[in-house]
Amino acid sequence: MTAFAIARTALLRLFRDRSNLFFVFVFPIALVLIIGAQFGGGFEPIIGVTGVDGDPLAGDVVDLLDADYGIREFDDSDAAVLAVERGYVSAVMVFPDDLSAEALAGRDPQIGFITQPDSSGQAIRAAAESALNRAIGPTAAAVAVSQSQGVSLEQAELLVEGAASAIADVDVETRTTGDALFADLGQFDLGASSQLVLFVFLTGLVGSAALIQSRQLGVTRRMLSTTASARTVIFGEVLGRWGVAVFQGIYILIVTLVAFRVDWGDPIGALMIVLCFGLVGASAAMLFGAVFKNDQQAGGISVVAALGLAALGGSMVPVEIFSSSMQSIARITPHYWANDAFAELVRRDGSVVDILPHLGVLAAYSIVLLTVAIWRLQKVITR
Amino acid sequence: MTNVLDVDGLKRSFDDLVAVGGVSFSIEPGEAYGLLGPNGAGKTTTISMVAGLLESDAGSVSVAGKLMTTKSSDAKRAIGLVPQDLAIYPDLTAAENLKFFGSLYGMRGASLNERIMTVLEMVGLSDRADDRSDEYSGGMKRRLNIAVGLLHEPQLLILDEPTVGVDPQSRNAILESVEGLSSRGMSVLYTTHYMEEAERLCDRVGIIDNGLLVAEGTRRSLVDSIGQDDTVHVTATGNLHHVAELLRAVEGVVTAAEAHGVVSVVVDRAAIRLPSILATFTEAGVSVVAVEVSEPNLEAVFLHLTGKALRD
Repeated sequence: MTAFAIARTALLRLFRDRSNLFFVFVFPIALVLIIGAQFGGGFEPIIGVTGVDGDPLAGDVVDLLDADYGIREFDDSDAAVLAVERGYVSAVMVFPDDLSAEALAGRDPQIGFITQPDSSGQAIRAAAESALNRAIGPTAAAVAVSQSQGVSLEQAELLVEGAASAIADVDVETRTTGDALFADLGQFDLGASSQLVLFVFLTGLVGSAALIQSRQLGVTRRMLSTTASARTVIFGEVLGRWGVAVFQGIYILIVTLVAFRVDWGDPIGALMIVLCFGLVGASAAMLFGAVFKNDQQAGGISVVAALGLAALGGSMVPVEIFSSSMQSIARITPHYWANDAFAELVRRDGSVVDILPHLGVLAAYSIVLLTVAIWRLQKVITR
Repeated sequence: MTNVLDVDGLKRSFDDLVAVGGVSFSIEPGEAYGLLGPNGAGKTTTISMVAGLLESDAGSVSVAGKLMTTKSSDAKRAIGLVPQDLAIYPDLTAAENLKFFGSLYGMRGASLNERIMTVLEMVGLSDRADDRSDEYSGGMKRRLNIAVGLLHEPQLLILDEPTVGVDPQSRNAILESVEGLSSRGMSVLYTTHYMEEAERLCDRVGIIDNGLLVAEGTRRSLVDSIGQDDTVHVTATGNLHHVAELLRAVEGVVTAAEAHGVVSVVVDRAAIRLPSILATFTEAGVSVVAVEVSEPNLEAVFLHLTGKALRD
């Protein structure tokens, strides 16, 4: 009970500081929102068009492209080209004023296509050409049949339509080799898990400053003059840091689940990751609290260490896009194992059993850090 | 009757530095005992061992008959420590601080809340119970520091230089609080390097220097031990030279001299001899304007025993 009283007081002190409230509750959710809004979900290129103006064939082309791309109409081609240059749209199609008339007259209509010189531009060009062929091709074929066979355009269109229906459809099957890394992820899923890992550790580690403050104020020494043993005092302090980290982790789980419909996979598994990784953060905080002499020193180094480990462990950029050597290095961070455990649950539909190795590694981190911290802290507070 | 505190041959060194070199003293129930010595004399190290914060190299501490070590919770329950540092959380209210420390003693619920109000009343902070302690004045923080030590109703209250860095008004309030506790029968161990505080608060005083208890006793017995006499300064008008001659014949008077309208009389125990001294002035037809008695104090005792001033 005494240890719980120490832990409760640590939580009370944390939430008494309004800046902590911001960093525990507001900032992580804001980052999840920003990252999800910027990088989450599928990227839909936008194609600018000019000269549509009720032209039926141009309208058909736009309708075909609209299924896969965003469409933005421009009044003149200069504005559309400027939009491409500035990256507002991925490409622009400039239709002539008389596209349908030209096609019906059997002439080749000239359609402008402007894009950036990159691979996505070439992909859009292929899609645009396909749409043009599908929209204008039957009309051009009917005009040609009408002229060569001496039949009316209406009859020619029927002949072309009949011929087209006689051609067997070509099925194109698309397969992905290997694992699809980020397939079927919601807009906020990746950002939510990586930010949870980052903030749970950061909040836990910054708690080392409060531990040092207790020592500097003489409160820790006074606690030892009570009936509470040194072991109980240290256990209470660990419990306090752990409580803060777990509280924040569960908060992020629940808020992102409710507000952003984030898929956390197996809820028991997600909770287990938060508990184990929170303990790593709390243990690291105890070690920092035992090693550093003043709270400013501990606070500053905690932030740098937490952000550095988060970056290395895949909380800022997924480790899957690291080089193989960096992926190997990432494995030395607890963040890697927490992030990978979430990936197992969310992206690979894993269960608690599948993340047991990850939980084991995190537990090992906690044991090592905590053992060193307790040894050091007992020396510091009882001398 | 069992002593509240028995300290026997306590020793503690830090590497080559002997902080406490064999200190022994005891405190009876209801007694206020002062450890008087300059900074670095070994007071806080002694207190740390008495409070179970530090293991001794040799010797023993027994509180209310229970052996004190860093692990002995029974003995720790019998003491209340008021450390030199303000060992309270500044971002918590007085009530929250007290609730926290009370819970460390296993106190809970209504009895804890009741006790919190009682100790806040005792130190005059009951109307500020729900204010954060960082909004308190220095003196109020010191009083809260004392309240924490009193919370679990200890048999012995240990105060380690509680008035260091406190303004005169707050200092007086703290001394009054400690006097009040003593008058209610609480045993007190009080360390200080202020001679006046030890004289005012303590029934007995132990003088500590270089980790050794160099003398111990009541203020009077300590003063007597150095064999110095009281001095009576009498401001008067008349033939003072003649009076001085007469006074030298009075029993107990060691010497008497006149200078600048004041007769200074060195006497063994002024309180007893004062009536006969004043009667001598009357017999000589000299009008007495003012009388001032100065006794040798603990400062003089410390100087006599250690050859240095208390605040060196």
